[in-house]
Amino acid sequence: MKAELLTYIPLKTLKEEFPGLGWKDFLPHLIYTIAIEKVSRACSHQLVRHRVASFSQQSQRYITVKRLDEKIVVPSTVDESNIGDYIGGINTVSETYQRLVDKRVPREDARFLLPNAVETSMLMTMDGKSLVHFLGLRTCNRAQWEIRTIADLILEQLRAVEPEVFNHVGPYCYQLGYCPEGRLTCGRMKEALERYAV
Amino acid sequence: MKLRLVAHSPEIETTIATSMKTTTSGAMPSTLFDRFKDRSEKVADIVSRIEVQHGNILEHNRLIWSLEASRDRVLDIMLRTKFLNITELGGDRWVVSGNLRSVIELHLVHRDDFTEALVETIKEASPRIYDFIRRGEK
Repeated sequence: MKAELLTYIPLKTLKEEFPGLGWKDFLPHLIYTIAIEKVSRACSHQLVRHRVASFSQQSQRYITVKRLDEKIVVPSTVDESNIGDYIGGINTVSETYQRLVDKRVPREDARFLLPNAVETSMLMTMDGKSLVHFLGLRTCNRAQWEIRTIADLILEQLRAVEPEVFNHVGPYCYQLGYCPEGRLTCGRMKEALERYAV
Repeated sequence: MKLRLVAHSPEIETTIATSMKTTTSGAMPSTLFDRFKDRSEKVADIVSRIEVQHGNILEHNRLIWSLEASRDRVLDIMLRTKFLNITELGGDRWVVSGNLRSVIELHLVHRDDFTEALVETIKEASPRIYDFIRRGEK
């Protein structure tokens, strides 16, 4: 998987133009466009739940999935003891999908069979305020591993180009100084604070 | 009312072309973006096929303006669109930002000196989208 920051508006430009405002005031006006690549459809379903954002995602209506077993994400919990079952299921779906496409079932209908493991890529654009919220939730220990990995990759690049903003950003416990997850807390706030400390 | 564009996303039309091709091509978006960066003719060819109904491809950008206008005037703007971000600076000065889709859609449904000024500022940031809007007016 990969996340690459493609374009953004530098904070410096706005600070020069509007000297009376601080970095938090600029967050709704700042924008970041990021290429997110080779993540599972399960991950992209989570990404698009962040509604104050724009997405352009590879379409399964237009892009035929060939050799499904080469275009899937395999979670690390699928190990040598069960990888056969996992790949076996994928292959069964792959063969049936291909048969349907060969029989001229439209790709937009054949894709109903495709599993959440299928790789997808997208452009994602978020304003600074939404991105700070996204990173607060998705770099959290409680986030699912794939979207958390993507969130960490994004944060790393943002800290490199805009440290004044993103050195303040990490999981919500890092941003707020307390864990807002209540009884669902991971209980490892100290570890999280150390990991994201600048 | 005075409106001035103070900043915008870089490579707006390259990003629009990348967005358009991402949905239908098997290539990675970062590869498409790099491929299009120095090929303005290719970008022009792709962007010229734009259809405003597929507005999400026009959302991967942001334009930021400095606006001088009364509070009543800004309230009027806010009531017409919820897709512009507005920050008050004081003394009838404001920071306004939005994406190309918001500008086009606002201009489609309402014409006044504000929307006209918005469209004029696009000319430099995204000349092909500017031409697209002006062609649509004829």
